[in-house]
Amino acid sequence: MQDLNAPANPLENLAYIIAQQIEDHSIVYIGTGIPMVAGILAKKTHAPNITLVYESGGQDPIEGDMPWSVGCPFTWRKSPTIMEMSYSFAQCYNGYVDIGFLGFAQVDMYGNVNTHMIGSDYHQPKVRMTGSGGNNDLSSLTEKMVLVGLQTPDKFPEKVDFITSVGYLSGGDSRKEAGLIGNGPAAVISPWGVYDFHPASKRMRIKSLTPGVTFDLVQQLTGFELLKPEGDIPETKLITPEALEVVRTQVDPRGVFTSMPPA
Amino acid sequence: MAKYLYNQEAIENLKLNDTSVLDRLVDFESAREAHLKKERAKKDKRMTIAEAVATFVQDGDVMTDGGFSYVRTAHQAFHEIIRQGKKNLQMIGAPNTNQSFFITYGLVKYSHSSYTGAEMRGIDKVYDRALKAGKIQILSEWSHGGVAQGLKAAQLGLAGVFSKQMLGSDLIRYNPYLRIVQHPLKKDKDSCVFVPALYPDVAIIHCHAADKYGNAYIYGPAVNDLATAAAARKLIITAEEIVPENDIRYNKQGQIIPFFYVDAVVEMPFGAVPGSMPGCYYWPRQWWEKCMRFGGSSEENNKAFCDEWIMGVKNQYEFIEKLGGARWIAEARRQTRAAEGDNEDIDFSYEEYTLKHDSGIYY
Repeated sequence: MQDLNAPANPLENLAYIIAQQIEDHSIVYIGTGIPMVAGILAKKTHAPNITLVYESGGQDPIEGDMPWSVGCPFTWRKSPTIMEMSYSFAQCYNGYVDIGFLGFAQVDMYGNVNTHMIGSDYHQPKVRMTGSGGNNDLSSLTEKMVLVGLQTPDKFPEKVDFITSVGYLSGGDSRKEAGLIGNGPAAVISPWGVYDFHPASKRMRIKSLTPGVTFDLVQQLTGFELLKPEGDIPETKLITPEALEVVRTQVDPRGVFTSMPPA
Repeated sequence: MAKYLYNQEAIENLKLNDTSVLDRLVDFESAREAHLKKERAKKDKRMTIAEAVATFVQDGDVMTDGGFSYVRTAHQAFHEIIRQGKKNLQMIGAPNTNQSFFITYGLVKYSHSSYTGAEMRGIDKVYDRALKAGKIQILSEWSHGGVAQGLKAAQLGLAGVFSKQMLGSDLIRYNPYLRIVQHPLKKDKDSCVFVPALYPDVAIIHCHAADKYGNAYIYGPAVNDLATAAAARKLIITAEEIVPENDIRYNKQGQIIPFFYVDAVVEMPFGAVPGSMPGCYYWPRQWWEKCMRFGGSSEENNKAFCDEWIMGVKNQYEFIEKLGGARWIAEARRQTRAAEGDNEDIDFSYEEYTLKHDSGIYY
């Protein structure tokens, strides 16, 4: 059980900010980690009528504990149906899924995602990561994508080292011209800011910044020039005491995904 | 010489010299031939896992994972393959956490990759090291959905599918099997990816129940397994229990693999350990944390971990003894039943394995 009086940590804030992207009565495709926390938090707070869909095939589970994996029984607990994997992704193509959430190791100025490898040589990478999993499938097909990860100049480069999943490819209409479905990434969320994309150029733009974070700071943490919104940059709304209590007592009581990782 | 017109850019990017190693995965004619030669009679196909592996897994085979990463995957059969030792296997890792066990012992030379790792437990450092050391070569990069579509195409009896996944990404630049094509009915430009039907040489699928002829029942997520079963040239079923044929006919509704796909039936209680098995047992979560964190930390530690848990035991019963024996069985069953809503909710807390803390307890 977690200390209920401790101040919110960045992961808890992240879960809350992601959850705010979810509208009630929508169908939400959930990747592993913090997006699972956010989806369940949204369901337990402002969006009780959402339907959660998971890549292992589980969907619309009845409420339970925090899934240990996207294949965990908590993702298909008494589901009316469990989809085979090909059918699960097909629901995004066919327009049954409103919004999807995914992690990234790198995201570039056009919202392209890398979860494959870091380095310039595919055969001798600095590090090989997980590969696509369902990341590419959701990004290729889902109406609206939200990308979630940490922010440093290496993690926000001008070009990703490997395009695992296409955001807006090289900007403008290039995503559509490549033949992809859906509108592409609607938001990128890091502990320091929330970003969207310029409607025409499709370049990443600041939407709001975490209280205390300045434009100069996030620009230093970014490997390309960030666009600014018109007027003053709004502050991101952080987790409320009520939502923090829900995270710590109901959503992730043991801090599986919301406690800071062990050394 | 390869039989197919592979995506040349991918061949170059992957630095593949001998492209004939790619052929079997998409060789429909030989898969159909293999299916035509399968036993038609209702014959008792039961055998031990040692016999099934010795008979049906050959050096150089294209093999698939089953289940979902570490859910209902035939781990104990994989361990037997490792103990018998095979060479030059190609592994389709989708969805996968399990290539690295084979790579550690030099069984897998080629990798078709859509995912390696264990979600929040971290990236697969064993795979990372093996790749850089040239111990394995990636033959194709995929998304989970791309592999799922290739296997589904085989099950549906299609030459392939026109997919909207993977377009524009570097997956296509690193996958010899994928070709970008124009939608044939569209007047305007509309790109699709042609994903060919995929035919693994051998699949091992762990099921909840099977009869002695091979009719096999899956409960919970089937993932790709109904498609894989239809596609594979050789199919081994391991099952938690062997039931009379009438039990499958009358009581087991839903996800069934028909007997005439199946070459071998192995009674194998706890065949998915250390993975989870829907309705039967939950993961020993600490085991996976130790595998990823301790095994990941160095090649020596990885070898020591695998030697202890794979080479150091003869079968799943010895494996379970090391996990805690009857106590582990009882707790793991309670956990999975509670997670599925078939038991009163229990406290899912446990002592996580970290490099600084190893409780030695696996439930």
